[in-house]
Amino acid sequence: MNTICLHVNGVSHRVAVEPRRLLADVLRQDLALSGVHIGCAHGACGCCTVQIDGAPQLSCLTFAVQCDGAEIETVEGLGGHDAGHPLQKAFMAEHALQCGYCTPGFLMALAPFVEQAIEQGRIPEADEIREAMSGNICRCTGYHGIVAAVRRAIHDGIQGDSP
Amino acid sequence: MSRTLERPKSIGARVHRLEDPRFLSGRARYIDDIRRPRMLHLAIARSQEAHARIGEIDVESALALGDDIRVFTGADTVGLAVTANAEYPEVQFSQQPLLAQGRVRFVGEPVAAVLADDPYRAEDAAGLVFIDYENLTVLPGIAVARAEGAPTLFDGWRNNLFVERQMKGGDLAAARSAAVHTMRRTYRTHRQAGVPLECRGVVAEYDPADETLTVWSSTQIPHLLRTYISEELEWPETRLRVVAPDVGGGFGVKGQIFVEEILVAWLALQTGRAVKWIEDRREHLIASIHAREHEHTLEAYLDGDCRLLGLQADISVDCGAYSTWPFTAASDPGMVAKVLPGPYDFGAYEATFRGVATNKCPVGTYRGVGRPSAVFSQERLMDDIAAELGLDPVDFRLRNIIRRFPFKNVLGFTYDEGSYAESLEKTRAFLAPDIAEARRTRSSDEVRVGVGFACFIEQTAHGTPDFTRRRVPIETGYESARVEMMPDGSVLVEIGLQNHGQGHETTLAQVAADALGVTPQEVRVRHGDTLTTPYSVGTWGSRGGALGGGAVHRAATEVAGKLRAIAAHLLQAEGQEIVLGAGYAALAEDPDRHIEIAHLARAAHRNLERLPEGMGPGLAALAGCDGPADGTYSNAVHAAVVEIDMNSGKLTLRRFVVVEDCGVIINPMIVDGQVRGGVVQGIGSALFEQFVYSEDCQPLTTNFADYLLPAAPEIPDIEVHHIETPTPLTPLGAKGLGEGGAIGPAAAIANAVSNALGVSVAETPLNANAIWTLIQSATGRSETGE
Repeated sequence: MNTICLHVNGVSHRVAVEPRRLLADVLRQDLALSGVHIGCAHGACGCCTVQIDGAPQLSCLTFAVQCDGAEIETVEGLGGHDAGHPLQKAFMAEHALQCGYCTPGFLMALAPFVEQAIEQGRIPEADEIREAMSGNICRCTGYHGIVAAVRRAIHDGIQGDSP
Repeated sequence: MSRTLERPKSIGARVHRLEDPRFLSGRARYIDDIRRPRMLHLAIARSQEAHARIGEIDVESALALGDDIRVFTGADTVGLAVTANAEYPEVQFSQQPLLAQGRVRFVGEPVAAVLADDPYRAEDAAGLVFIDYENLTVLPGIAVARAEGAPTLFDGWRNNLFVERQMKGGDLAAARSAAVHTMRRTYRTHRQAGVPLECRGVVAEYDPADETLTVWSSTQIPHLLRTYISEELEWPETRLRVVAPDVGGGFGVKGQIFVEEILVAWLALQTGRAVKWIEDRREHLIASIHAREHEHTLEAYLDGDCRLLGLQADISVDCGAYSTWPFTAASDPGMVAKVLPGPYDFGAYEATFRGVATNKCPVGTYRGVGRPSAVFSQERLMDDIAAELGLDPVDFRLRNIIRRFPFKNVLGFTYDEGSYAESLEKTRAFLAPDIAEARRTRSSDEVRVGVGFACFIEQTAHGTPDFTRRRVPIETGYESARVEMMPDGSVLVEIGLQNHGQGHETTLAQVAADALGVTPQEVRVRHGDTLTTPYSVGTWGSRGGALGGGAVHRAATEVAGKLRAIAAHLLQAEGQEIVLGAGYAALAEDPDRHIEIAHLARAAHRNLERLPEGMGPGLAALAGCDGPADGTYSNAVHAAVVEIDMNSGKLTLRRFVVVEDCGVIINPMIVDGQVRGGVVQGIGSALFEQFVYSEDCQPLTTNFADYLLPAAPEIPDIEVHHIETPTPLTPLGAKGLGEGGAIGPAAAIANAVSNALGVSVAETPLNANAIWTLIQSATGRSETGE
């Protein structure tokens, strides 16, 4: 057992973990973060995506002990109980989810992309948006609504920022 | 205050989903989120051989791992199985044991159950169960399994057929002899599956206080699971509760009973502890449910005007090692035989269909059930005939399409009104520029464009008579709903459907809201728990909106009737028409005389002295809705535009257009989502996904690097257009739509490839190898052929 410190969604946790335990399992089981989902456990579907020190990472391919001291953000920290992040709101408006299982992974992978595009003040072409989600699989929506939601979130973000 | 009766209608509105916030914020509760005190974790030691006798099972090393480890084998579960019981002479049904009984029939079949306090330790221990195998002859596919003298997969069977049956109508011999043109073709679709992103999982716990066994399962059919467990474990249904929590995709895969569901329930009773099993992706890909490995030989007869006179079909499906419950191995082949007449008007038909037993993962239901393969063959045949006779493929279809309704087809099924010709003509108009481009590039050596159409109908929301005819254990197809208005005026709707992405918590709230004069936001829809919801068959077969919506409408209408009676009494307007809307009950003739619906709700529960004389308390109603005898027929046309690089073989799907008619639309946003999602699964079927087995039936596609699901960059925007032809056969005029999207793409894309290359496409998948080979045959370049 190793005792590590994880800073998750702004709260610090000391947890004792076996070296072989996956970050996804520790977040799900020890910290009861049900928004972290495991779809394949071999890094191909993106369901388990969380942000580690600001960058999207696959928590099924990461051991918890690798993250000692890291800042981790999960979907629970993105927009709170009511899903208030602009990308979450856009997902609702554009019907970008059906069963919801892949949704947290998409949100955590795409939120930095959306935030960066808003900062740059440009709405990417559909191809670029689709490429940005190429590491995540959605089996329900056919991606149409997700592409539209990303576009809407960026559009609304740019409008909101303009004077 | 003068009140105009604004009655915003919810049905037909693009209402945002009421269930979304919990999914978006990570609060949804899926099967792996179920945690119980002192829970044991199950890992399953599975067969590594496709067909073998099981010798010794050495569990010593596993047990040596620690005191918490317990191992169960087939010797502990004798007599327990999933039995696809169908006592008919043309059927040989199988029993899939919970744990192998001395013999395994596919790689991945459960052999030993290993329990531990921790899931990692359970997996460690399962890896230490050593199984002795004595290999038996493997049946790798339809041809070997049907060959003369092939060993049978089950003792006492006469051959390797789960089922062989005929369907016929009209005089085929007369059609054959009258034919001016005859066309015979064989088409094949390959093995793939629904592959939800959440794997399967089961948790079970016995509560000694209320003597109830609770089983949580990632299932589409909680009530049917309760019945099956009750019968198999001889446990009363009053003491059995099945809960389907949030389910991360089903697509039909989770619409059958699995041995693991019975096994986990049995283990919880054996151990007196909660037991949890969470499937991993490899298990899911090799040992859950596969679909669509079909071979169809069709012979069509046409007169001199190129009108279809008759069709003969021989249909075989590689059903894998076991028949499933409740739809059985007859499901896929029987569906093909039933639906091949399709949207075309002809008078003679004979089909023989069979389900063949082989040493692969069992085949079960997946979105479309047989229809994607049937429509592939039907619509490839239409294009092949058109090409042979020198006709435009759309003109040829229009010449044969059904135009008068209701239409009794060659098998005696009655089609309710649809928009078959209109949807085909409309689609062709949308594709005009692409058709022109395809003509221009027809003989290009660089890049060719092809346009393909698939025109089909889908029998949806079928009812009890349809299942009786099928002679399978599903038996019935009804949905039920209970609607109750609470004392505060909010509305609780409890449905036997299970919502795993279809948006029932929104669409059925819309239906109840319209009947009761409230907003969808005031309606809570609860589902998935057999303790709180009325018995129903669950969510499959495109029945949620049509039948679930129908049941909610009926129950809510009954409650609304009582609200109106109370309102009339309190407004001293007995006998006058009362309208419910915007939270008020008002006189239709004099809207100024009105009363709050919440006020009526309180009176019904709390102030009985204010009710009309003789009226009982409460505001609840239960209603069921069975499907029409022949179902209600949705129709659609799918069109694909492909671009093929003749030098590299790269195929790009440039456009995909859908014109569909599912009758009355409850929520257009959700209908579009269902159609698009289905289409992209169909694109996966056509181009990417394939389960590959070696000759000795070892699965070679056991992860997402080998089994390729479509990702966003390969997929174009899916253009969806609607025609609404209401059906008189369901309470809301709605037809089913959940599966339709997945039915047409393989046919449309194959027709587009055929159009681009000028060669017939006889099978899927159309992966890079297949396209390259087709290019070689189209151009006569053979030096790089296979």
